[in-house]
Amino acid sequence: MAGKAVQYTAAQIRDLGKENIPKELSGGHGLVYSSPATLAYNSPGAEGFGVKRAGLAVPESVMLIVAPGCCGRNTSIVSSMPQYKDRFFYLMMDETDLVTGRHLKRIPDAVCEVVSHLEKKGSKPRVVMICITCVDALLGTDMERVCSACERALGDGTRVRPSYMYALTREGRRPPMVHVRQTLYSLLEPMEKDPRSVNIIGNFAPLEDGELQKMLFNAGVKHIRQISTCGTYDEFLKMASANFNIVTNPEVRAAAHDMSSRLGIPYIELTRTYDVAKTAAQYKAFANAVGITIDISEEESKAKEAVESLKADHPDLTFNIGECLNADPFELALSLVRYGFKVGEIYAALAPEKFKYVSKLAELSPDTKIFCNMEPTMLYYDVSASRAHISLGKDAAFYCPDIPNIAWNSDIQPFGFQGITKLMETIGKIMKEARA
Amino acid sequence: MKGLRKVLTPFAPDQSGAVSVLYGLGGLIVIIDAGGCTGNICGFDEPRWQNVRSAVFSAGLRDMDAILGRDKLLVSKIADACKKIDASFVALIGTPVPATIATDYKALKRMLEKEISLPVLTIATDGMRLYDEGEALAYKALADEFISKDGSLDEITLGRTPLTYGSDFADITLEDYRKIGPSTKVTAASASGVEAAKRLGIPYETFSSIAADLAGSIPSGKVLVCHDEVFGKTLRDKGTDCDIATFFTLHDEIKQDGDKKITEEDEFTDLAVNGGYDVIVADESLKPLADGFKGQWIDAPFFALSGRR
Repeated sequence: MAGKAVQYTAAQIRDLGKENIPKELSGGHGLVYSSPATLAYNSPGAEGFGVKRAGLAVPESVMLIVAPGCCGRNTSIVSSMPQYKDRFFYLMMDETDLVTGRHLKRIPDAVCEVVSHLEKKGSKPRVVMICITCVDALLGTDMERVCSACERALGDGTRVRPSYMYALTREGRRPPMVHVRQTLYSLLEPMEKDPRSVNIIGNFAPLEDGELQKMLFNAGVKHIRQISTCGTYDEFLKMASANFNIVTNPEVRAAAHDMSSRLGIPYIELTRTYDVAKTAAQYKAFANAVGITIDISEEESKAKEAVESLKADHPDLTFNIGECLNADPFELALSLVRYGFKVGEIYAALAPEKFKYVSKLAELSPDTKIFCNMEPTMLYYDVSASRAHISLGKDAAFYCPDIPNIAWNSDIQPFGFQGITKLMETIGKIMKEARA
Repeated sequence: MKGLRKVLTPFAPDQSGAVSVLYGLGGLIVIIDAGGCTGNICGFDEPRWQNVRSAVFSAGLRDMDAILGRDKLLVSKIADACKKIDASFVALIGTPVPATIATDYKALKRMLEKEISLPVLTIATDGMRLYDEGEALAYKALADEFISKDGSLDEITLGRTPLTYGSDFADITLEDYRKIGPSTKVTAASASGVEAAKRLGIPYETFSSIAADLAGSIPSGKVLVCHDEVFGKTLRDKGTDCDIATFFTLHDEIKQDGDKKITEEDEFTDLAVNGGYDVIVADESLKPLADGFKGQWIDAPFFALSGRR
């Protein structure tokens, strides 16, 4: 076994069945390889929206990270971004804190000092998020109580909420990225409903301004709010007036459920797919569910044309696909294969709920190889057997350094027909540049 | 307030220091964490990870592993990986999680050595101490396991890692460590190098080539150097009349009157603003703490401090 990365073909996985996915592909059973995907996932300050950036999605908020120094180390990357200047603060834990828990008594003083410091600079926050890590998870710290003590100490209405960066609970019932979304929306207070207001929730950067918003406006909606487009805390609070929530990321489902029961805001889920037919069907089902009439013919035609144009220019295009991208890698692979392209390799952990894609992929592309980014033998991954022309996903560039790559991982989220069109056009552009 | 950081981000922790010494030696390095610490180390503190593949793994601990102290499961995971990965030793690197549950590293080492035929190094870092202490612990583990001090290596530089010196790090192999002998010329390039050299019991000298290169460009006057202690001492050895302030270890062998070990942001502010210095040599990330300093600032990048490459 030594010296070779473990891989299975789509056909092999289909034959094994959903209940027998090899443990080397599902991850979580052994040591975890330090691949770009696992590091990005596990290092929330370094890539995308992890707990630290997510916790600051609320306007006019700051974060106090109460943790050993190692937990806040890579925050310097985020702190250097202009929008996070003067928004991260640290209360460093030492070994005595660990043994005695004395740091908890210091948190209210630290919060007061941070707020006072910012008030002097003319930027007093409305919310202080307190980020705690694995240590306090194991100590069983009651952060709700600590936050209440902080609010009492401040005594000026500034909200203080916990943000749990518990990597230990990553595969638990409420993993950190689910919990942080619940925390953010727990700041909303009941208010009078505005039937012409809708929230799009799920991500921390906006959904690309496109057809979904256009459909809603055409249906008479006046206010579409996303947490990332709220310029002020007061604007954010108006999200409580929404008639309904559109959920675009399953990790916000628990928060949507909370908002439904606490604020009386129902929700409906929309899934990102790179399949034109499925996107059309989903929009029609959405329109029926919320009782609106929509016309998607123009956007649908554009997406179809973009696919056909790429196919005409590059009929034999072969992809390798990673998992650090704004897509489900298995769903994307299946969509591309259905369009007539080839997918050589996929680098992604295979959860049972993704089996349906692999099973269908096996019918059309049985030899597509699947690797898991977490598997230790990925240390020996050798790209020389791959015949791919282009890779998708930031992590795929690590494995395939000599072919063009599209990271496709921008903060602003592609969605619907517009997302499909843009991806196809980007692939075409990158391939044209590569051949020039 | 003690421990509160309003300007600086946390410095490189001990676990990053330990990996920095062991990286590239051909070992199978296991960080006993849930994944976040490994993300910080490979994804941020270890620049070689981008270019040189090395067997650095997260133990992938989950809450119940920690709560129930599932050491047998950890040993089984490592033994399984050893069947798939070619390695010359196994190193276990501590993080806040094993520190919280009081992991018995000696027991872990014994359990693992029964399952595999490789030497096992255990490094009890906890993520709360600083990188130079982690580097020193890694050097100690290497010395205990591999250095017999009867070799014939000509020279070796200890403590010249990417965390202190960025791309100007010393590329040392496991074989080099094995060959250290009584006649080896040992140079300590940073605080961890001093600690390692002292532990080896071999005469050593201190020298930082980057500091030596900088020495000629420092104007006269009262100078404060805020960096690693050997960096400061090298400037002093090259004729700069300076005081050393460091957030990291300051050994008695290096400390002189006017030198100071500092911990808090306020301490640096006080030195910079009220110390009467004409020149400050330090990473420019410290500048916001020196509001009111009227002299000349000479930038001396220090990755472990600023995270700035």
